[in-house]
Amino acid sequence: MDVAEIISHHILDHDWGVTLAGFRLPVTTHTVTLLGISVVLLLGLHWISLGRQSRTGRLLTTLAEEYVSFIRDSMVLPNMGREGRGFLPYFCTLFLFVLFAALAGLVPGMRTATANISVTAALALCSGGLILYSGLKFHGVIGFLKGFVPSGTPGWLVPLIFPLEVVSLIIKVCVLAIRLFANMLSGHMVLICLLLIIFIVGQMHVAAGAGALIPAMGLEIFMTCLELLVAFLQAYVFTLLTAIFAGSVIHTH
Amino acid sequence: MEDLLKPDYGVMVLTVCNFLLLVYLLKKFAWNGIIGMLEKREQQVANDKQEAQEARAAAENIKRDLDEKLAQISDEAAKKMAEAVKMGETQKEQILAAAKEQSERLIEQAKAQIEAEKNKALSDVRGEIARTAVLAASKVVQQQMSEESAQSVVDRVLEEVKAK
Repeated sequence: MDVAEIISHHILDHDWGVTLAGFRLPVTTHTVTLLGISVVLLLGLHWISLGRQSRTGRLLTTLAEEYVSFIRDSMVLPNMGREGRGFLPYFCTLFLFVLFAALAGLVPGMRTATANISVTAALALCSGGLILYSGLKFHGVIGFLKGFVPSGTPGWLVPLIFPLEVVSLIIKVCVLAIRLFANMLSGHMVLICLLLIIFIVGQMHVAAGAGALIPAMGLEIFMTCLELLVAFLQAYVFTLLTAIFAGSVIHTH
Repeated sequence: MEDLLKPDYGVMVLTVCNFLLLVYLLKKFAWNGIIGMLEKREQQVANDKQEAQEARAAAENIKRDLDEKLAQISDEAAKKMAEAVKMGETQKEQILAAAKEQSERLIEQAKAQIEAEKNKALSDVRGEIARTAVLAASKVVQQQMSEESAQSVVDRVLEEVKAK
């Protein structure tokens, strides 16, 4: 049994090999999962936004309103101020997208798309774009660039501080991607490793494998619950940090 | 396993397009409606809260006015009660004084009446005695009675007067 191959198979994205006129299309398990999540979110939230008067409709509308209120009052307004109101749909979508992408990995047969560095990098790119757009929108090109130099910095330090601050912002955006990717990946690696314990021990002796079944499954259930928590936590952290970074360029030093 | 950190640019581009399109479509078809409902509800809550605060302020004003009126009424009632008690005391004293005066007058009248009756009785007695004395004197003269017999006659006459 090649453990590394099993883990790789569980973790890595799988290209479906779709081509169009000899050009490879990025149709993979993760992109299809993300597309499915997008369709579910779009249809579900659109249905909720219609404000149905049925019992379920009212319940879901109230939940959606509370969710928007949570994103607005705990992330967007405290960090971005009133200027952040226009970006509220972005943050509402971002949280749900990251959350559902992580939760999808807990559904049998589906994969955690955010355990893919390409996916998290794409999301970080979008957040980076938002940060850049916020700075340019509220301060203009010159004002945005000036914002990288703290007020009161001596003139001779500006050539040193400016590139440091620019690199700092780029690193922050990159870290967004790496943090989400690493957290999701590690959780799923632990899950598959716990399952593999049963088979590795079972190869030594069938009775030992059967004996390892219960503790391994107990740990598996515990880790799955932990993954559930981590999914919410990482979605919160990713959205909050994006809001903080965007707020830092809107309200400069 | 080395593929873990190898970025797939096709997946990146597709994810960016997917996510940005989702943001746009959700904003257009979902978030605007939900945010609108939320803001409407918050506005309604704010209006209700303001109305409730105004109603409370109005109720407090009414309560303050009523308290003031109640206190005023209590003061007036206490004042009127005191006046009534005072008036009652005055009337009581007046009635007592009038009753006393009337009783004294009645007593005086009774005394005067008794005195008059007494004087009249004495006068009658004196007249009777005089008539009796005249009668006795005439008897003495007629019968030339001794002094003792005359005395006995007078005594007898007095006895007769007393008996009447």
